[in-house]
Amino acid sequence: MGIVLELKNVSKNYGKVIAADNINIEVDQTEFFSLLGPSGSGKTTMLRIIAGLEEPNEGSQVIINGKDVTHAPPYQRGIGMVFQDFLLFPHKTVAENILFPLKMQGASQKEKDENLKWITHLTQLEGLENRYPYQLSGGQKQRVALARGLVSKPSLLLLDEPLANLDLELRKKMEIEIRRFQIELGIPFIYVTHNQQEALTMSDSIAIMNYGKMEQVGEKFSLYHDPDSQFVASFLGSADSIEAEVASVQDGIATMTFHGKTIQARAHNGLKAGDQAICYIKSERIRMEVEENPDAPCGVVLDKIFKGQYIDYILDIEEGNEIIASSGTLSQIKAKDRISISWDPQVADAFPLPPKDPS
Amino acid sequence: MNQKIFWRLSGPGALFLVIFLLVPLITILVFSFWRTESYTMIADWNLDNYIRLLTDKTYLTFLMRSLVMATVVSLVSLVFSWPIAFFIARYGGKYKIILLLLTSAPFLTGEVLRVTALQQILGPLGLINMTLNNFGIEPIEALMYSNTSSAIGLTYLWVPFMVLAIYLSLLNFDFDLLEVAKVNGAKSWSAFWEITWPLNKIGTAIGVVLVFVPTLASSITSKFLGGPNGALYGNILTNQFGSTGTWALGSAMGVVLFFVSILVLLVVWRLVGDLRRSGISIKGGARL
Repeated sequence: MGIVLELKNVSKNYGKVIAADNINIEVDQTEFFSLLGPSGSGKTTMLRIIAGLEEPNEGSQVIINGKDVTHAPPYQRGIGMVFQDFLLFPHKTVAENILFPLKMQGASQKEKDENLKWITHLTQLEGLENRYPYQLSGGQKQRVALARGLVSKPSLLLLDEPLANLDLELRKKMEIEIRRFQIELGIPFIYVTHNQQEALTMSDSIAIMNYGKMEQVGEKFSLYHDPDSQFVASFLGSADSIEAEVASVQDGIATMTFHGKTIQARAHNGLKAGDQAICYIKSERIRMEVEENPDAPCGVVLDKIFKGQYIDYILDIEEGNEIIASSGTLSQIKAKDRISISWDPQVADAFPLPPKDPS
Repeated sequence: MNQKIFWRLSGPGALFLVIFLLVPLITILVFSFWRTESYTMIADWNLDNYIRLLTDKTYLTFLMRSLVMATVVSLVSLVFSWPIAFFIARYGGKYKIILLLLTSAPFLTGEVLRVTALQQILGPLGLINMTLNNFGIEPIEALMYSNTSSAIGLTYLWVPFMVLAIYLSLLNFDFDLLEVAKVNGAKSWSAFWEITWPLNKIGTAIGVVLVFVPTLASSITSKFLGGPNGALYGNILTNQFGSTGTWALGSAMGVVLFFVSILVLLVVWRLVGDLRRSGISIKGGARL
């Protein structure tokens, strides 16, 4: 399968604010690709550059199906786009909203009829063609927005936080539906979100963005389990952090001292003996034992929060380090229990702690 | 809403309107079927005033002239106001309100003063024609005390209202929809016709009515700028209550003006058409 979208050295700044800093991405024909990051990380700017709504800096290249479209207007790019808040045209019926892209292309009535039939079937909007947007439920509006993005059979679909304004239940349903459309159509979807649950559920690959930089890009499983930047380690999942001093680094594993106890984690970014390190462990990777182990970090359970599928334990470790450990619902550990914690060194990640700001 | 509260709150306003709008209207309607003789009203019911208005070509001519004037002034105001309102609403940023208030700066002086100021520009001894004269160019006849100069004066008078109406409409317009149109292949003009225009046509219609109806009845501007052949329906109407003292005929003229204005409103309403086509949902306004 070929590469559909290629971004080469894409940068964009607004005055002194850098919204995109030398981004390189390749998206494959069948890929569900998410741009994930906190708000203000530049992910929407990236999407707008791909769409042609924003002109990138000199030297940037946007290539769609092998054609350089960096300076082409949006309508020459063969893309579909789904916006946040749906942005349906309130004065047009469902059918008119969906057919808008084809109308703008000057498609024949026959083509319009055929495509409308095909897309309303795919998005389960049959029978709603003559309604106005205000007569639709949130989920139906979302599907009309998707149908409008897909009706002209674009070579890729861009989605800008399309589920942000739906309630949780509907969002979960739409996540699965959107993924189904993507597989059925066999075109890449580029999905912008700040919601990592959404990104993890739907994507094949994820690019994590922070302050206009791409921190890491890759297949979602490896991104979650093998973060290679401090931001990614702290951002994905529910990550606990512990500060410790590095005693030694051997075979990529750092051995550190934490309040006199020994802890271990994978060493990143040239971490070496004598460094102050910050160590990230995902909550679900922390094991708790009721017997106090003199070699392991110890503490007390402050609170036990039942979450349904799991339990979050709020722990105070070595007096003053609050961390969260997730555990199965059958765990017998109670609040106020004294416990010791441990983890597999291969699932924790240690990074050099940046020197404290003197101010 | 509690009925008692409703009446207490809206009662005074309603009463005010009844006394000062409805009562004079009814009075005028009644007078229009009377007769005036030597500056006194005689209450014998007849249709003479209306027959005269509909058969005497003079009155019909003045009515037509006012209708043409109102149409021209509305259209010119429309063409001028849309770009102004659009740019203030879209790009005005934090200066929106100041820019909007600036369009109404002419209103900081009175109407008479404003029209007099226009005389100083348009008249035979005005800025434009004097300048032309200095360069040895013939003065522009059309600008001197004519219907054209009335039209300029009236447009100048009403543009701020039109700008305001369109601006308020655009404030509620989601400009992001234009981006959606653009991504979906619309060029600037088709985005305007497909999206911006339909979603703001009610605001525009209100602007047109705000300009058309007062222009139809206007008299001051044409009195100062229109010259000997520039009298409009409003001028003739005013005369009936002034020098000629034929109040009954004047009343009938007023009634005709009233119904023509209502007719204009109906036509504009028809042109707006299906409200859903203007993006107005039944929701929210359902319990009218």
